[in-house]
Amino acid sequence: MSTADTTAAGIEHGTHVSETAAHPQPSPSKGSLSTFLSTYVFSKDHKVIGLQFLFSTLLWFLVGGLLALAVRWQVAWPWSDVPVLGKLFAQQGGQMSPEFYTMLFTMHATVMIFLVIIPVLAGAFGNFLIPLMIGADDMAFPTLNMLSYWFMWPAFAAFSASFFVEGGAASSGWTSYPTLATNVNAAPGSGWGQTLWLVGLTFVGVSSMLGSVNYMTTIILMRAPGMTMFRLPMTIWAMFITAVLQAFALPVLTAAGFMQLFDRTLGTGFFTPEGNIVNNAVATAGGGQPLLWQHLFWFYSHPAVYIMILPAMGMVSDILTCFARKPLFGYRPMVYSVAGIAGLGFIVWGHHMFMSGMNPALGVTFMVSTMMIALPSAVKTFNWLGTIWGGKIQFTTSMLFALSFVSMFIIGGLSGIFMAATPVDIFIHDTYFIVAHFHYVLFAGTAMGVWAAIYFWFPKMFGRTMNEFWGKVHFFLTFIFLNGTFFTMHILGAVGFPRRLADAYHYETFHHLQPLNAFMTYCAIGMVATQIIFAVNFFWSMFFGPVAGRNPWNANTLEWTAPSPPGHGNFDYQPVVYRGPYEYSVPGVEQDHLMQTDPPHPAAAAAAAAAH
Amino acid sequence: MNASAASLGHDSHGHHGPVLQYQPGLPLSRGKLIMWLFLSTEIMFFAALLGSYVVLRFGAAVWPKPHHVHLSEPIGAINTFVLICSSVTVVLALEAARANKKSLAKTWMLLTLLLGSLFLGIKAYEYAAKFSHGIYPSAPRGMVYERPDLYYGSAVRARLGEPVIIERMKELFTKPEGELRPEEVTGRQRLKQVRDMVNDPNQQAFDLAVVADQIMPLPAESADGHGHGGGLNDTFSWLKLPVVIPGGNMWASTYFLLTGFHAVHVIVGLIVFAILLLYELGPKRAGMIENAGLYWHFVDLVWIFLFPLLYLF
Amino acid sequence: MKRLSALFWSLLFLAVPVLGVATFAVAPAYDIWLPKDVSEHGPAVDGLFYFILWLTGAVFIATEGVLFWFIWKYDESKSNGGVKYVHGSHTLEVVWTIIPAAVLLFISIYQMNTWADVKMRRPDMAPTVEVIGRQFEWRLRYPGKDGMLGTPDDLHLVNDLHLPIDEDVLIQLKSMDVLHSFFLPNVRIKQDAVPGMKIPVWFKAREEGVFDIVCAELCGWGHYKMKGRVTFETRESFDRWLEQKYAEQEATQPADSESAAVAKLSPASLLARR
Ligand code: HEA
Ligand code: HEA
Ligand code: CUA
Ligand SMILES: [Cu+2]
Repeated sequence: MSTADTTAAGIEHGTHVSETAAHPQPSPSKGSLSTFLSTYVFSKDHKVIGLQFLFSTLLWFLVGGLLALAVRWQVAWPWSDVPVLGKLFAQQGGQMSPEFYTMLFTMHATVMIFLVIIPVLAGAFGNFLIPLMIGADDMAFPTLNMLSYWFMWPAFAAFSASFFVEGGAASSGWTSYPTLATNVNAAPGSGWGQTLWLVGLTFVGVSSMLGSVNYMTTIILMRAPGMTMFRLPMTIWAMFITAVLQAFALPVLTAAGFMQLFDRTLGTGFFTPEGNIVNNAVATAGGGQPLLWQHLFWFYSHPAVYIMILPAMGMVSDILTCFARKPLFGYRPMVYSVAGIAGLGFIVWGHHMFMSGMNPALGVTFMVSTMMIALPSAVKTFNWLGTIWGGKIQFTTSMLFALSFVSMFIIGGLSGIFMAATPVDIFIHDTYFIVAHFHYVLFAGTAMGVWAAIYFWFPKMFGRTMNEFWGKVHFFLTFIFLNGTFFTMHILGAVGFPRRLADAYHYETFHHLQPLNAFMTYCAIGMVATQIIFAVNFFWSMFFGPVAGRNPWNANTLEWTAPSPPGHGNFDYQPVVYRGPYEYSVPGVEQDHLMQTDPPHPAAAAAAAAAH
Repeated sequence: MNASAASLGHDSHGHHGPVLQYQPGLPLSRGKLIMWLFLSTEIMFFAALLGSYVVLRFGAAVWPKPHHVHLSEPIGAINTFVLICSSVTVVLALEAARANKKSLAKTWMLLTLLLGSLFLGIKAYEYAAKFSHGIYPSAPRGMVYERPDLYYGSAVRARLGEPVIIERMKELFTKPEGELRPEEVTGRQRLKQVRDMVNDPNQQAFDLAVVADQIMPLPAESADGHGHGGGLNDTFSWLKLPVVIPGGNMWASTYFLLTGFHAVHVIVGLIVFAILLLYELGPKRAGMIENAGLYWHFVDLVWIFLFPLLYLF
Repeated sequence: MKRLSALFWSLLFLAVPVLGVATFAVAPAYDIWLPKDVSEHGPAVDGLFYFILWLTGAVFIATEGVLFWFIWKYDESKSNGGVKYVHGSHTLEVVWTIIPAAVLLFISIYQMNTWADVKMRRPDMAPTVEVIGRQFEWRLRYPGKDGMLGTPDDLHLVNDLHLPIDEDVLIQLKSMDVLHSFFLPNVRIKQDAVPGMKIPVWFKAREEGVFDIVCAELCGWGHYKMKGRVTFETRESFDRWLEQKYAEQEATQPADSESAAVAKLSPASLLARR
């Protein structure tokens, strides 16, 4: 621990400030509108921006969930009247039309990916946690940070508006493959809906780009004294590498989005081949290549799937160590594997295109790199298991969600191996096997990780803890229902049950699968209904939950030394870091945790020396 | 409580904690670091566009030569030179600002702004030349056709049938020869021919390629200089008949995509320079000038890739 | 109480591998499993599926089992001594990197041959039939008597594909408008049809029968109903069928004057018609 002492030399040693000394919160009690606006709406404080992201994404999560229910309804009972919601989009007496179905899953995925998972990880938790966990008073560029949130609103507006324009919202899947997406005549939603989709996507892109460069700058330049890169908590490492991924992958999608937009509005033909005639309309200008879009799209969207899981992996690592009261197993391998996933993530995009008509020899190279990307994930999985091995597990709600993240990620990851194997992918590509795969990594993985993080950092956000009993009920029911909904999708996929079909039962091969689908829909309904428990718990605890101290979980990282919730500027003392983030249960130390800011401890030094 | 905690909540920025100190990271200011990071996202943006260009170009069956599409290498080269000069002047502005020569810095900055504007001006001239030849992608179809096929024939026919055109043609055909320029005399002859060919309902074999050649002849492979072959569209600027350029649509799509996004970046740079000109350009602003300059060099660099790709190969 | 809750949660995590394996074990009994396969390469594809299923199944049971075991064993309420204060193990990291790496590399190499058979080793022959995706039907074009596609004697059909068994067939796959995907679940074949591209698809069927052609790539509102049928039959009955369809086409063509006129349209007449 000697390096810390030298780096910290000359800097006054910060002691923990007792709870009573915590500075009172800045309150808009003056009642003036402008204070209210500058505190809660146009705030430049990273914590407020983080919470803005959190609330927006939770709201959109609800929207995405309801869209999913509508999808499930149609899959289970095609062409039957949709209860409640049917009134809203009543086509023929509450029955949905096939084009409406295509719109539903397109917007379900769009909302979930671009308005929920990406912004909740980077926007909400990235914003809230990065400065707090590295010991900074705010992001490097607070105004830019504020803009990154406000750029989400044009996107919200565009996606929302698209439901009401002629032809309805985008309906060519979240992948928006040309020529379905580029040709206005190809589908009802390929008109204004698709244009608005592209506009929304561009704004999400700008928002993410602004966020990512800001995060990287902050993490590089604004770490507390003593916080070397290899003392960063995994959460921060994951956020950092996610930001790198975003910065390098996203511009490609933005460029591709512009090209598709021009194809649709200015008459260019980047993605339209020569003489392409859709729906008997006159051939449009062409000479382009439909597959080019797929390459550009997946060049972003494959790294994006890791953007959608790495931060959750980071947060889960921190939560697991805290509630196992044990150091993280293999800190450096964990860091390297995150970097490895990110690096390999750039060279595997072709695995989405095995059946696309891409040169099959190219497919072989993508197959090999895809197989290899399972390696860093394997390292992570085994290290998580190593972390809880020999620990002292506390079954908090947060821990349960974190454990289930590990359990579910294994399922989602292993199904990836089937698809990576090109000959097997011939059969399962575009079937529910794929749908099972990505809901396991995205919902059962990331969303469970997000819940773990919400329960874990809620006290820091609002100064109160969430109700543990109802939290566990929420966990239990979500866990049961999610497996009921999604695990069964694997065997549907084994039959070849195709995705994106409004009704597949008229095929002889699939007509016997309706009862299973009905079962899954019941589970999905249960899963969404369960979230009422969460919502009530969330809002109730915000105001009436038990008051939490600075460090309710006895965790080690810097945010737990700040007041709950932290005031403007975060820290009421100068944090100085003396050790890594995972010093739990150090032999010879009275407490079972040593915070990163705790002054050097002789027993700890001895233990560290002995451990090496 | 220690000294730093004592300052709690009393600093002017409304901070409620001490002014924090940080672990030394990279030896770069925040502004410069974020500028570099931003530029790396920009590199990926243009990499995607350039990559698409390469894929589309080499995937295309035919690709027009620069003079088929009236692209002039000398003009492109001049513009490259202009942009490189502006990259030099912005560096000189930075040097001057660092040396606290404020008015000199302003002069260099102004010159940068002017050179950037000159670049845009030349670009606009080039765009105008393209537009006047009907070379642009537009919905649902530009004036550019890939080959003299049926669609092309009916498009020419449709254009010739437009009331405005009929009006102008009547005017032209009834004018006494003395009032016409010499090339208009022969042009009138050829226009009549084209009209009759395309409109004749029961003619057997006519060659749409001939029509296309009359409207806008493509310069021969060896032709040097501009591609003005004196077609009907050149003779009568109001005519604007559809033209045939094999591969022309995709060429136009990519040309305007690449140069358009580059031009947008130039405009952003010019706005930044204009804003900088409002300030005193002393050492205090050197950081800002440096960042603006970094950005400008990047814009310059992109053009250095674009110029040979679009004009020379 | 605490002990009880720990027991409860560890059993919940044990339920994952138990019910997971059970689902896969029971599914075939309800016929929710790989559909019947009649192709020559199918067994290799299915074999790979089973191989990976067994392999990942083993990894699944092992990792989920270990997770359960640790949750059960190391919960707070059990007084099993102190916490193991370790930061990792270099040896273990190496072991659990090398072993999966070897396994994954093996899978990669092991599967390549099957992939090459299905997608790379194209038989050297003229296309048996051209399949063209179009919103929302499969247009089929058989070469006529001359054995060549694109001549006036081509046989045009919709959605009703017939193919001979016990011999290689080569399909030329195209699309007129948007992406489609030619999916034969019972032949383990799937290939996107891309506008502007001609993609070869080949296989050899082993059994007679009538099966679904599914469109597996989103192609618009009618994607769900873009259904065709493929009939596999012996060479003789296939030839007979072809003969008969050809005769039917000959018989109907003159009557269908509109389409004939369109086909014979000359440049001049098209211009005149506008
Ligand atoms: C968070 C999101 C996420 C994550 C993390 C992943 C992770 C992986 N994905 Fe997934 N994927 C998606 C989201 C994600 N994916 C989405 C959204 C789609 C569909 C998009 C669409 O079409 O709409 C998709 C589609 C998709 C396809 C295309 C399928 C098709 O359309 O035909 C493929 C093919 O290779 C693939 C592979 C993989 C692999 C190999 C991993 C690997 O990273 C997984 C690695 C993890 C493990 C393997 C488990 C842990 C390891 C061990 C326990 C060690 C031992 C293991 C072995 C030795 C095998 N994915
Ligand atoms: C992050 C991504 C994500 C998430 C979370 C989900 C969640 C769900 N998805 Fe989704 N899905 C996709 C991404 C996602 N999906 C993608 C990419 C596709 C492919 C689309 C395409 O083909 O183009 C897809 C497609 C898809 C299909 C296939 C459609 C088809 O191909 O025909 C189905 C069918 O069952 C489905 C179902 C569900 C269900 C039942 C859920 C459930 O898990 C939903 C549960 C929802 C909730 C639990 C909401 C809870 C609400 C709150 C917690 C808010 C609380 C509020 C406050 C506190 C204010 N999804
Ligand atoms: Cu054709 Cu889907
Ligand atoms: Cu992928």
